[in-house]
Amino acid sequence: MSFEAISARRRHLLSFLTLVLLLGASLSMQYLLEQRSQGRIAKLEQLRLLPRGEILRPALLGYHQLGADLLWLRVVQVLGDRVVRDKDYDWLYHALDVITTVDPKYVYAYEAGGIVLAELASRVDLSNRLLEKGLAPNPASWQIPFRLGFNHFFHLGDHSRAAEYMAQAARIPGPFPIGPPHYTARLASRLYVQGKNPEVALEFLEAMLEQTTDELVREKLQRRIRRVSLERDLQMLERQILQYADSKGKRPASLMELVSARLLPGIPSEPYGGDYLYDSKTGKVMSSTHDERMGVYVPADSLATRGDIE
Amino acid sequence: MRILSIAVNTFRENLREKLLYNLLFFALLMIGSSILLSRITLGDYHRLILDLGLASINLFGVLIAIFVGIGLVSKEVDRKTIYTIVSKPIPRYEFLLGKYCGLVITLFANTIVMVVGLLIVLQVMDVPITSLVFKSLALIFLELMVITAVAVLFSTFTSATLSAIFTLAVYMIGHLSGDLKEFSKKLDEVSQMVVNAIYYTLPNLERFNLKGHVIHHLDFGMADMALTLAYGLTYAAFLLLLASIVFQRRDFQ
Amino acid sequence: MEHSDSILKTAGLRKTFKVGFWGRSVTALEGLDLDVRQGEVFGFLGPNGAGKTTTIKMLMGLIYPTSGQAWLFGRPIGDQESKARLGFLPESPYFYDYLTGLEFLQFYGHLFGLRGVALGKRIDELLELVGMSHARHLQLRKFSKGMLQRVGIAQALINDPELVVLDEPMSGLDPVGRKEIRDLILRLKESGKTIFFSSHILHDAELLCDRVAIILKGRQVACGRVSELIDEGVAHSVEVVIDGLGPEELARLRQMADRVIVQGSQVLVVLPSRQQVGSVLELIRGARATLVSLTPQKGSLEDLFIREVKNKQPELREAV
Ligand SMILES: Nc1ncnc2c1ncn2[C@@H]1O[C@H](COP(=O)(O)OP(=O)(O)OP(=O)(O)O)[C@@H](O)[C@H]1O
Ligand SMILES: [Mg+2]
Repeated sequence: MSFEAISARRRHLLSFLTLVLLLGASLSMQYLLEQRSQGRIAKLEQLRLLPRGEILRPALLGYHQLGADLLWLRVVQVLGDRVVRDKDYDWLYHALDVITTVDPKYVYAYEAGGIVLAELASRVDLSNRLLEKGLAPNPASWQIPFRLGFNHFFHLGDHSRAAEYMAQAARIPGPFPIGPPHYTARLASRLYVQGKNPEVALEFLEAMLEQTTDELVREKLQRRIRRVSLERDLQMLERQILQYADSKGKRPASLMELVSARLLPGIPSEPYGGDYLYDSKTGKVMSSTHDERMGVYVPADSLATRGDIE
Repeated sequence: MRILSIAVNTFRENLREKLLYNLLFFALLMIGSSILLSRITLGDYHRLILDLGLASINLFGVLIAIFVGIGLVSKEVDRKTIYTIVSKPIPRYEFLLGKYCGLVITLFANTIVMVVGLLIVLQVMDVPITSLVFKSLALIFLELMVITAVAVLFSTFTSATLSAIFTLAVYMIGHLSGDLKEFSKKLDEVSQMVVNAIYYTLPNLERFNLKGHVIHHLDFGMADMALTLAYGLTYAAFLLLLASIVFQRRDFQ
Repeated sequence: MEHSDSILKTAGLRKTFKVGFWGRSVTALEGLDLDVRQGEVFGFLGPNGAGKTTTIKMLMGLIYPTSGQAWLFGRPIGDQESKARLGFLPESPYFYDYLTGLEFLQFYGHLFGLRGVALGKRIDELLELVGMSHARHLQLRKFSKGMLQRVGIAQALINDPELVVLDEPMSGLDPVGRKEIRDLILRLKESGKTIFFSSHILHDAELLCDRVAIILKGRQVACGRVSELIDEGVAHSVEVVIDGLGPEELARLRQMADRVIVQGSQVLVVLPSRQQVGSVLELIRGARATLVSLTPQKGSLEDLFIREVKNKQPELREAV
């Protein structure tokens, strides 16, 4: 054995050097592998590669909550990147689905996932699918039906379904935040009766704004509030024009005549800083900044569309 | 030659472990049960069978590696069977290497049995067997080799129970360290340094995980494969050398 | 340092163990100096816990000395080449119990690179030598303690070693078994091997050893040829049996003797040395008693051993 022949000290030195060498080699290979798999794509792919929840669940040996938490952390990392391509949202939905299968009572994952899918990804379908999945295992949570109600109202314009979900949320007992915010019940009943009324919509939106801390969602809500207030003003102006015509037998020549007839205290300012344009031939009022109306709130029934065009 | 004698003897000793057969039985049961499960699942049952098969082979392989590996050296010391071996002209590292090779042979035999089980199921259920399946199996075996080296390292200086706990911890952290590193980007510098130290010194076992690639038919190139193999083997060599250094200094009391 | 025929040598060999949670130091061996020569049977004696096994484990490279040095065949311990010329039987041997006698010896043969026919022949010889030919296909788990001891000795001899180190080879054996092992050791000696064995059975050591070393609580208290140790260490006592002594003479006898035992009219007196014999005989004559018998006692290792233990006890207690 030549190795044995070397003196003990040299042997120690040699084995120590080899040790360092091997560690260094494995580190650099590890680094190289990392470079080859390119950070972010790898992360998204990992989400995509998650095994199905049904399979993951037994493998977690009872540590479902921990598993769900770790997966949620991963999802949050991907969302943090913000630059997410559209098709990635399918993987996001898959990941959320896995998380909520592993831990079906993870209310926050439903809620936040629902918001992200609807607001960031514009995938109301996926958002609703996720939230609906959470209804049965979490009968005591108001957040999930509340979110669903919002989705149906805000994105789908389905006021009666929205009202149903809001009513469901309103039935959860307890003071806020265990129970729903105080105005939920009133919102639900008003949605039932006058879903198409922009006043109701505004009330709902203001309530939501109060509720939401996420900046992105707040911004969206604020945009929508401006847009709906524009619609409210337009409808209000048109109503007053009709009333003027009823009493005077002719349409006003300008909007100022409504003010002088004491039908209005003044012409409301256009929320986008534009002007209200009045067509005395048709009796219609338009905004100088928006040439389309929000179909949802037109008193006559029409198809619900996403009326937000900016 | 001497290493081989010790390896063969270790293999024979392992074959006497009842635990081994229990684990093997359950692994085959799980692989087989995917046939039943595929009947009640909706949609893509190919995926389910591959999922379950690869996961079983991996999980039970790891269990065997840990629970047989931890006793590998500490049992010899506790039972004092090592006395007559170390007093023979066998350097301690050769003994260690022999034990390690013995367990790797055992694991290989076990993996072969499980793989044959999986291949039969795949064949019966008409699931296409791609080269990716074999790449994934090769890397699963590589992972087992690394885990075994971890178990041997711990088993050179602690009791079987403690080495089981430590090895399981390394196994779990090894799979999570990539995530930990990502998470730590949002933390302060000290935490980042700690996490990075863990990430780079513990084995990154996610590198050996191709199960997702198999399920989703993502390609895994030959260069990646070679690099991963080299990484695994180098890391195992590092662990074994470390184990030898620790073992060399040890008193057998 | 290197006598050409020095097979085993230690100089100031010390070992302390750390015990307990706080790592308290316990000294198991304190400065041992041994020198075992070519062709000797060397007995390493001491009571339980003296440090015999500790010493042997250091010599075999199982544990490392805290300080001091040791050489086998003139090379520092741990050297692989000297291990090739060595055979070792550990204390109450533990072996792979799932192997049969044959497989067991094959395994150790392989470790020395022995194979095939040569190994088969060697195994046959050894099984014959230790009287275990009948157990070649029996698993070790089914062996009795004596059988294990024998097959353990066979294992130690597989490489035809020049030095055989046996840790308590006779423990757990019946008188016949012990005699067989003794014969075996003598046969090994005849074939020119050096034998170093530990024991606390002094009778065996006395019959077998050329030289012995006695250790007590980790300290070497005596070393040398058995006959020399007994001669210098133990004065030759004399046993006298007397009949018909009066109480007055008895009282005077008690002053001279180590021990006086009265049995009816007879008295057994143990005198510490031959010098007292004259005065005792005069006493008998003066008292008109009868001398029944007078036996000079040959000193034994056991006497030496017990005396050493007694002598060192207070001193050691102080040291602790
Ligand atoms: N691993 C150890 N840790 C702590 N103390 C030890 C250890 N091994 C031995 N000792 C102590 O060292 C002393 C010597 O022990 P050793 O086994 O060498 O005695 P021995 O002479 O072989 O006794 P016996 O005749 O009973 O076999 C004892 O007091 C023992 O308690
Ligand atoms: Mg002993």
